[in-house]
Amino acid sequence: MQKRLMKTIIILSTALFTTTSYSLTADEIVKKSNLASYYSGDDGKSYVKMDIKDSQGRKRKRELIILRKDLEEGGKQLFYLYFRKPSDVRKMVFLVHKNIKTDDYRWLYLPALDLVKRIAASDKRTSFVGSNFFYEDVSGRSVNEDKHELINTTDNSYIVKNTPVNPDSVEFSFYTVEIDKKTYLPLKAVYTDKNGKEYRIAEVLSVENIKGFATVTKSRIKNLVSGSETVISFSKVKYNLGLKKKIFTERYLRKVPRIARK
Amino acid sequence: MKAKVITDFSMKYPKRVTALMIVITLIMASLMVMIKVDTDPENMLSEDEAVRVFHNKVKKEFTLHDMVVVGVVNDKHKNGIFNVESLKKIHELTAFAAGLQDKKNEQKRVLSEYIIAPSNVDTIAQAGQGQVRFDWLMKKTPKTEEQALKIKAMALSNPLLKGTMVAEDGKAIAIYLPVSEKDFSYEVRERLLERIEKFEGDDDKFYITGLPVAEDTFGVEMFIQMAVSAPLAMLAIFILMLLFFKSIKLIISPMIIAVVTVIVTMGLLIGTGNTVHIMTSMIPIFLMPIAVVDSVHIISEFYDRYDKKLGKVKTIVKVMEHLFKPMLFTSLTSSAGFISLVITPIPPVQTFGLFVSFGIMLAWFLTILFIPAYIMFLDEDKISKIKRDDSEHKDTLMNRFLKRVSFFTYDRAKLIISAGLILSTIAVYGITKIEINDNPVKWFKKSHSIRVSDKVLNSHFGGTYGSYLILEGKKDSLSLKEISNMVLKQVNDVELKKAIDAPLTKALNSSKSEGEFFTKLEKEIETIADDASDDDYDRLMSVIDVTGSIKNRSEIFKKPDYLNYLATLQKHLASIEVVGKSNSLADVVKKVYMELFEGKKEYYKIPDTKNGVTQTLISFQNSHKPDDLFHFVTPKYDKAAVWVQLNNGDNKYMEEVVKSVAAFIKDNPPPSELKVGWAGLTFLNTVWQEKMVNGMVNSFLGSFIVVFLMMAFLFRSPVWGLLAMIPLSITILLIYGVIGFIGKDYDMPIAVLSSLTLGLAVDFAIHFIERIRETYQEKGDLKETFKDLFEEPARAITRNIIVIAIGFTPLLFAPLVPYQTVGVFLASIMLISGIATVILIPSIVKTLRNIFFRYNKSAV
Repeated sequence: MQKRLMKTIIILSTALFTTTSYSLTADEIVKKSNLASYYSGDDGKSYVKMDIKDSQGRKRKRELIILRKDLEEGGKQLFYLYFRKPSDVRKMVFLVHKNIKTDDYRWLYLPALDLVKRIAASDKRTSFVGSNFFYEDVSGRSVNEDKHELINTTDNSYIVKNTPVNPDSVEFSFYTVEIDKKTYLPLKAVYTDKNGKEYRIAEVLSVENIKGFATVTKSRIKNLVSGSETVISFSKVKYNLGLKKKIFTERYLRKVPRIARK
Repeated sequence: MKAKVITDFSMKYPKRVTALMIVITLIMASLMVMIKVDTDPENMLSEDEAVRVFHNKVKKEFTLHDMVVVGVVNDKHKNGIFNVESLKKIHELTAFAAGLQDKKNEQKRVLSEYIIAPSNVDTIAQAGQGQVRFDWLMKKTPKTEEQALKIKAMALSNPLLKGTMVAEDGKAIAIYLPVSEKDFSYEVRERLLERIEKFEGDDDKFYITGLPVAEDTFGVEMFIQMAVSAPLAMLAIFILMLLFFKSIKLIISPMIIAVVTVIVTMGLLIGTGNTVHIMTSMIPIFLMPIAVVDSVHIISEFYDRYDKKLGKVKTIVKVMEHLFKPMLFTSLTSSAGFISLVITPIPPVQTFGLFVSFGIMLAWFLTILFIPAYIMFLDEDKISKIKRDDSEHKDTLMNRFLKRVSFFTYDRAKLIISAGLILSTIAVYGITKIEINDNPVKWFKKSHSIRVSDKVLNSHFGGTYGSYLILEGKKDSLSLKEISNMVLKQVNDVELKKAIDAPLTKALNSSKSEGEFFTKLEKEIETIADDASDDDYDRLMSVIDVTGSIKNRSEIFKKPDYLNYLATLQKHLASIEVVGKSNSLADVVKKVYMELFEGKKEYYKIPDTKNGVTQTLISFQNSHKPDDLFHFVTPKYDKAAVWVQLNNGDNKYMEEVVKSVAAFIKDNPPPSELKVGWAGLTFLNTVWQEKMVNGMVNSFLGSFIVVFLMMAFLFRSPVWGLLAMIPLSITILLIYGVIGFIGKDYDMPIAVLSSLTLGLAVDFAIHFIERIRETYQEKGDLKETFKDLFEEPARAITRNIIVIAIGFTPLLFAPLVPYQTVGVFLASIMLISGIATVILIPSIVKTLRNIFFRYNKSAV
């Protein structure tokens, strides 16, 4: 009798606990995940290799250095992208001021034309320098733009379904993300188009612990329709370098600071 | 005589013969369920044909697809097509089209990712405060007329879109729908038309065209025609024969022969695994008249000769004796005309020739085997009754007319011969004016909606006929040592030279390929740079610039001089009348470069350096559709495609463009030698056309000689052989002379019809000459002979002319021009060769009687 009571209590409490944690965490998981993937440390630096491969296996490579500085945790961020290779785009710089509520600011410095240009983008789902990555994939999609729904929990991960608040602004109808329970890194995102067909997959290929931060060191985005894919690998990742805010200004586009070059 | 053996057999076992024929026909008919249809004119070239291989390679390398073109025109609204209502429809139609896919095979679809439409193209434009903006041209339907006009301004200011997607007059927009397979085009058109039906208001006119649509729709309509025109022709022939012979029982037999011939031939074609192609689908139409001709000769003669006293058995035996030889030879000659097509280099034409040729011999065999058997089934009383009813037949209109012709040819022989000569001379002049040309869109009659769409859209846009001019740099083959020296030479700094000496040697000694060499070299240099001071780091990295430029030296289409060359070439293209528009990488670079410099006109040019070009392009690649670039250039930048839009798809114009470009490149050489090639459906058509025309000329000449030899053999005399060739030659001269004079293009159907002409036009002459010689032998007097000649033989010919010529008039009402052409041709062949035979042959024989009968006497 007592045993049975105990059992009931346990079952009840577990059920209670689980339900509460479900309803609470959908948004929280995403929030945590956002921080884990884009806001590690106060700033960061990384060498990036980008391999773009089309459906015929024809490759294009780019190498760059990315500097990042967070202005608010989970909010505004600054990115400085310096091109190392190929040689005909060397010294090109992209500067991005990521905003949460408004469009990002983007600048482009084209050394061969001695030109600094503001690029206005109507949305963040434009290609990042010809790759399968969108700007949003590089700098992160604002968590407020989607409604989140925890649709499944496995031993190691949460599966969250994200439906856009403003469906007209994007080309997908929803995407599901598999989020690692321990690191909160999104491991795989599958995008479904407006006809209900999966057309795009973003996956993490390797994760390393760097200075206590679980860091994605290789990821891939595949376009299932065109058959093209881009693999980005990160190396020499560093955090908390104390990057100065002024580096991330128009002034430093022409005069690339050392830390961004080497 | 062999004829007697077969005839006797057939008459002895009429039931078995008939049963056997029915069984074989049923078996062959059952094979027809295996039908595989192929309506792609591309298959006029064999799979491994060099130009076709190149075409497919280009399509792959530049991710190009065959496109269905949907044009929307609005002449009514003051802002043309750029009004809220029209744009809304275009937006909806594009979204609808993007989802089109085959229900059975999802791979067969509209390639939504490559659609060119206002909602699917990205534009680059000024966005105030020195900003440029990449944005969809029309992401959402505009709400106000101002917004619509803004879209107009944006579209027209984009040189890639103007004349291609938007008409310069602002009255039309074209949506380009790439299809994964060409044979999905018809369905795309059908489903679009259904959707368009649902739109309200009729200010917007919708037009659908493009070569894939034309070709695929032609294929579909062609098969409908097969099911409509062929039976209609059969019906017409049936009615005409009924008028002549007044007995359904009697005339049903030619019908049976025709149907059995067509079924067995098509069954065999399909059963042997051949696909039914545009060409081979015309086999029934070709076989029917030929199959009917022989039986009409038999029936006609049987009908004329039948006499109750003689009885049907003896009559048919006599008729078969008379006709066996001429029928065999008319069949052999027709067959030879078609079998010669086997030597053309075009696979579907070869198959066509082979099977028509087979069908002709089959028809002959069936005729001599089955007709006597069939006669055995007829009731003797009924036949004699038909004859009695037709008691006036001695004095019919036809008989009176033929009698008069008989006198005329005898009295005015020289006049007739001179007239024939004069006509032929004029015809030869006409033939010299023949223009070889074809255009699949013109296979539809003028009022067909595809023809109309073609006309309307080509008046609004740069052109709906796409072809691609491909330029490719030639690869050098430098040794690693030479490359290594090049690097050293281009590094100016003495200290740097020293610094990279070790990495160079190391890379040189350990590398097998150029790629490996550069990877190792750059890695070595970077390793050194990592440990160097900041200044040295930058200097060492500048070496990477050098190695990079050498490594990528084949990327010629990033170089300003090559892009400027493209632009010059395009300027030349624009000067060719039929070229409405051309697009290339140069246009992309110029447009983006100008927008980077606040849209100032003076910057509408190619940047001065390779890096300048590359950086302009990488700016472009921050758009929604960065890969659009690779429709114009390969990712390695070693090959470029210039999209050439022609507003007329006639082969002759395409050929003109190809020639003109070749001449221009010769006179204005590019910065370095480039391989020049063409791809695209419009171009492919010119290639198979040329093969076809040359092939046809050869096979025609070949079979002309073969037919002559056969004639000489049949009559055991080259002189009589030559005589037999005269009506045929005149028929060909006159028909093709008229084609030259009226300016009708010498196209695919006309080329193929030359074989039919050859095969059919000699038939009457064989019958006629055979009878002249036979009768002359008998009577020994020419005048008497002619009198006899204008009895049964002339009547049989006249009946044949009328049956075939009028019987195929239903073809004239077909919506497809090749079918109309066949109808006109059949009538012309029959009429001209018939008249030439009946009038010319007696005249010539009379005039040159000494020659003919001297030879004849010695031969017979």
